[in-house]
Amino acid sequence: MSFGVIKAYMLKEFKELIRSKMIAIVYILPTMIIILFGYGIRMEVTHARTLIVDNDLSKISQDLAQHFQNSKYFDTRIETGVSLQEALQSVKRAKTDILIVIPDGLEKGLIHKERPEVAVFIDGAFPVRASTMENYVKGVIFNAALSIIKESPENLITISSRNLFNQAMRDEDAIVPGLIGLVLLVAPAILSALLIVKEKEEGTIFNFYSSPVSRGEFILAKIIPVFMLHSVNILILFLWATWLFEVPFRGSFFLYWISSELYILSSIGIGLLVSVITRAQIVAIVLTIIITIIPGFLYSGMLMPISSMSGESKIEAHIYPVMYYNHIIYDTFLIGQGLDSPKSRLYLLILALYALFTLFIGSRLIKKEKN
Amino acid sequence: MKIFISLVAKEIIAFFRSWGLVAIVLYSFTLDIYIAGAGIEMQAKNISVGYVDETGGGMSEKILSRLHMPEFQKPRLFMSREDLSRSIYNRETMVGIIFDSDFEKNLKRYKRAQIDVLLDSISATQSFQALQYLQNIVLEYSQIDYPVELKIHKLFNPNATTSQFMAMAEMLSVITLLGVILTAAVFVREKENGTWEIMLLTPVDPKLIILAKTFSQVLIVMGGVVIATGIVLFGAFDVPINGSLAAFFLLSFFYAFTSAGIGLFVAAVSKSLLQVAQLSILIMMPLIFLSGAWTPIHAMHPLLQDLSLLSPLRYYIEGSESIFFRGTAFDDLWSYFAGVILLGSVLYFYGFRKIGRLF
Repeated sequence: MSFGVIKAYMLKEFKELIRSKMIAIVYILPTMIIILFGYGIRMEVTHARTLIVDNDLSKISQDLAQHFQNSKYFDTRIETGVSLQEALQSVKRAKTDILIVIPDGLEKGLIHKERPEVAVFIDGAFPVRASTMENYVKGVIFNAALSIIKESPENLITISSRNLFNQAMRDEDAIVPGLIGLVLLVAPAILSALLIVKEKEEGTIFNFYSSPVSRGEFILAKIIPVFMLHSVNILILFLWATWLFEVPFRGSFFLYWISSELYILSSIGIGLLVSVITRAQIVAIVLTIIITIIPGFLYSGMLMPISSMSGESKIEAHIYPVMYYNHIIYDTFLIGQGLDSPKSRLYLLILALYALFTLFIGSRLIKKEKN
Repeated sequence: MKIFISLVAKEIIAFFRSWGLVAIVLYSFTLDIYIAGAGIEMQAKNISVGYVDETGGGMSEKILSRLHMPEFQKPRLFMSREDLSRSIYNRETMVGIIFDSDFEKNLKRYKRAQIDVLLDSISATQSFQALQYLQNIVLEYSQIDYPVELKIHKLFNPNATTSQFMAMAEMLSVITLLGVILTAAVFVREKENGTWEIMLLTPVDPKLIILAKTFSQVLIVMGGVVIATGIVLFGAFDVPINGSLAAFFLLSFFYAFTSAGIGLFVAAVSKSLLQVAQLSILIMMPLIFLSGAWTPIHAMHPLLQDLSLLSPLRYYIEGSESIFFRGTAFDDLWSYFAGVILLGSVLYFYGFRKIGRLF
């Protein structure tokens, strides 16, 4: 293995990346993904457009409406004398999210203990938002009801909850670190697969077959540029997360950095494996996207916690490196245990082995193409 | 007309000959949509619960017995608070419940007691919902006499199934992506294979060639839409159809032309299929993002809300939602049709001009 050969070959790769403007993709795509998804995935609900139809106009019904108006979760409009049909039409046209109908005779019914009925209609088109809104409404009405019950209820159990790691339950804190795990899985894999498949498709791979460049030199020259270019992304993504999305960073930067480098290596290894079985660049791209984006979203612990998984998805999650990486990443951003936790140490080791294993298998298999 | 038909037929035959493309299209319209629908579940389910019980049983066990599937896994007993908190810090347990040693005593003596709950709130949505579940369970257990009756109706999607919605949104994204890529690919493949010059030499009006090429890809996409709606949406997810199916296909047809228009533009500026793929992804992501597929538009930043008016996918998604879930009548759909057709003709015309210059 000669260092001069690797250097020359790498120089060629860099020049080609710059000439074909691929270099822009290397830096634009990760940033674009983290910004679009970071802003795009909003599960928390604030300012739900609420229409209260008050048919009672009593002190109690106005009190109840007041409860909604005082909450930042609702943008409340109060109307009277609107028929249910008209009000529902407003939900149907997607102008209103929540419709609350206070019946005529709420106060009277309450006095006579007749349990008057308050009807609530919620736009269910976005299911997660719908259940959140349902719970908000339940909470507000429950609190309003408690304040008018004269005698204190029997056996009242309350819950005092402490939100660990993400006190304000911000979506950014929940999503953005996971997006780093997604980006650094997809982007290096695509780039490393392309660098090799491009030579196959254009036929220039025969230069390598016929030249005295050894397989190790060839692979190193392909891997190192990808590794170096994406190492910069580790820092860029970190800055977006902490500066733009204001995600707190509680762990050690060194751990973040070293695990990201190992993770990039595993991703490059996956790219190598793809390049072994494909001949056309377009197929390489699509195949890499299919095998990386799905685990990056579904089995990464970003949208669904690993502890809530069962059966196949749990097994699936353990196959890809993203679960191990994301555990460490969420730890460095939000928890801050670092290497004190045996689980993080184990996962870091697994990442290192993963990188070694995929790179080794990938480079072994490339040899066979020579015949 | 005869020339037009034979040009369309030529492209469709060419499509079926490249098995890789056929495989990708089939995968996208079936399995990909299925995985998105079945896999992406954001409602909290199967939550891992741990507890520490310092009371010696009784009341606490009765409360715990109300935590069950599908919302909660079987609660796991921890011997000390430290063990519980370690498990939460390692993210093996999401909800930790602590029954204080005074819990039962307080409840008997003062009729009031408190449960401490530790929540791993990294997954904000799930932990919020988990807390709500717990709150409801405890309330039920307290048997408070609620002075009012609360009747909650969820409109349009009463069971709040994420899968139907996700599957539909994914299908619409796939239509967009493939509409762009397939159209761009038919042109760029000619460039790559060197048959572009042959195409220029054929004694056919270039406008007809462009029209025939886009029309053939629109047909392929429409074929995919039929497969996806029939097999995946209706077959696998039982998506309701409250409006008119014909209206949906008509809207899809116009929309396919819109994305073909973007494809023409991509084809005009790229030299290889690789560039097509890169450009399409760069153009598609903001388009999908601004469409309201993931976040309702009124929940976005005001600036993004204005920008989203320019995304044809927005009208397509809102229109399709209205057709499938809300059951809006055909007459009331005109705004969605207008949005798609208007933006579509602008995009298509622009792409047409752009690629037309190469002839």
